[in-house]
Amino acid sequence: MLARVMTDIITVNDLVEVYADGTKAVDGISFNVQEGEFFGFLGPNGAGKSTTIKILTTLLRKTSGSVSIAGYDLENNPKEIRKLIGVQSQETSVDPELTGRENMILEGNLQQMSGKELEDRVDYLIGVVGLKDAADKRAGRYSGGMKKRLDLASTLVHKPKVLFLDEPTTGLDPQSRATVWDYLEELNKKEGITIFLTTQYLEEADRLCQRLCIVDAGKIVAEGSPLGLKKEIGADAITITVQNKTGATDKTPPKAAARELLSKLPAVMDILDAEDGLTIYVKNGGLFVPELVRTFDKTDIDLVSINISTPSLDDVFLKHTGKRIRREELVKEVTTGRFGSRRR
Amino acid sequence: MTLLFDTRNLFVRALKKLLRNPILIFFSLFQPILFLVLFTQLFSKFAQVPGLFPAGVSYLEFATPGILMQNAFFSASQSGTSIVEDINSGFLQKMLVSQVSRPAILMGRLAADAFRVTIQSAIIIALAYLLGFRFGTGFAGFLLTLFVIAFFGFAWSGISLTLGMRTKSAETVFGIGAFLTFPLLFMSSALVPVSAMPGWIQDVSKVNPISFAVTAVRDMSLPNAFSLGAEVSALGVITLIAVLTMSATVYLFRKVVS
Repeated sequence: MLARVMTDIITVNDLVEVYADGTKAVDGISFNVQEGEFFGFLGPNGAGKSTTIKILTTLLRKTSGSVSIAGYDLENNPKEIRKLIGVQSQETSVDPELTGRENMILEGNLQQMSGKELEDRVDYLIGVVGLKDAADKRAGRYSGGMKKRLDLASTLVHKPKVLFLDEPTTGLDPQSRATVWDYLEELNKKEGITIFLTTQYLEEADRLCQRLCIVDAGKIVAEGSPLGLKKEIGADAITITVQNKTGATDKTPPKAAARELLSKLPAVMDILDAEDGLTIYVKNGGLFVPELVRTFDKTDIDLVSINISTPSLDDVFLKHTGKRIRREELVKEVTTGRFGSRRR
Repeated sequence: MTLLFDTRNLFVRALKKLLRNPILIFFSLFQPILFLVLFTQLFSKFAQVPGLFPAGVSYLEFATPGILMQNAFFSASQSGTSIVEDINSGFLQKMLVSQVSRPAILMGRLAADAFRVTIQSAIIIALAYLLGFRFGTGFAGFLLTLFVIAFFGFAWSGISLTLGMRTKSAETVFGIGAFLTFPLLFMSSALVPVSAMPGWIQDVSKVNPISFAVTAVRDMSLPNAFSLGAEVSALGVITLIAVLTMSATVYLFRKVVS
């Protein structure tokens, strides 16, 4: 066998999950995750992210395809796989009637640990996630962020090689989210734990993942590093907002009129509706601005704002699926997830 | 070994949760204790009606075994709510991605429920003792009584667990439990002698599993009433129920965890 610097720790081939009602939640996806990698699944609600993670973590039986983790076949060796993985599910599952420490000890027990070794490990992890002062309070009294941190710490008790995180920051306030991001980065860098993360937050995928798959409707639509994916777009995004000039005689809505004007410019590659304006894709945003301003000079439309940005992962998603991962969906996503509820 | 280690840990978890929610124990003990104190006062004169009750037996002596079964029955009916809680909170899922032995999840639960019923029964018996209740068969009878009660609770909790895993709704489990308790209790020999009932209730009472369990306990507590035949048939009926309800429970549990 050839020695390789990077070895695949997760191999997924043509994975399919069809639910009893005929819904194809996962529609033939294949990917590899390398040891030590921070890998992400980015996609909107219903893309098949949670289903994939449930299959990979032995919770859900796949319809077809093959999965191997650390050399163990998922079908034949689920027990071996469970020893190697830590899983944080979407819904925070700490026992509210046990203290933080008791929750961690119990998790260690479930992972077949006990005694001094376990106690030391728990003490260490409680320190890492900053719950020392609250460790002996009941978890039911913790804030949402503290519960997430406790949940995260408890997935690490048995020193897993691969960590699965299903939307680890959904429902957290920005500050808690940033804290969790810091922990995750440190875990990955310092302890070399492979992390498989699903998210619908673009910033999260962008900041954390070394490599990611963009998924939609059960299929992988793009794969690569965040930077590489964004470069593929090959254009800058300019978002403008417009309004009618005071005393304008033309009663066409300004947005439609602006679109009409812009579509005639050869430099414009694409025009899309943004939340309160338009997003224009051009090769070189900076150089295009003077032309943009001139275009509206002699019209009845005022340019209220111009915002140039390099392409985001949302633009990548848009390019491959024709739709955006919308903010509204992110807000709605704070789940009341139930075990067995079939989320795609 | 894993099985025992895991069962013990999950048993301890369940007990901790119970002790930190003393209100739960209070609620399940409230009704039996109310019955014990109130009914035994209210109906004390009935026991003197010739021919209805066994001769020389007070209503307290007659009803305490019935109230013990009521307690076992009611507690067992709630046993499914904890598994619903674990399903809905994601805790079950957390257990399932760990290395924990699968049967231990169920066994820890059942052990904790049996323990709970035993403790509650001991409290009721202690209270009845203060009111003048005595065991005709002594300490051995007391221990055997606790066993019969816990075994009955175990058999009956299978129904509640099945409902819990089937509906995943604590309200349904609680509602059906409460809905079944009274008709089954009053149509059994728990609180009223069979001979004092109208004919159709007598018929129900004779096949009512609670009656069998109550008879088994009563035969151990009333003086000179012990009969091996009654004990064996009661244990036989409870075993039959246990086999049925536990088969359903294990079947559904395997579906839930696979």
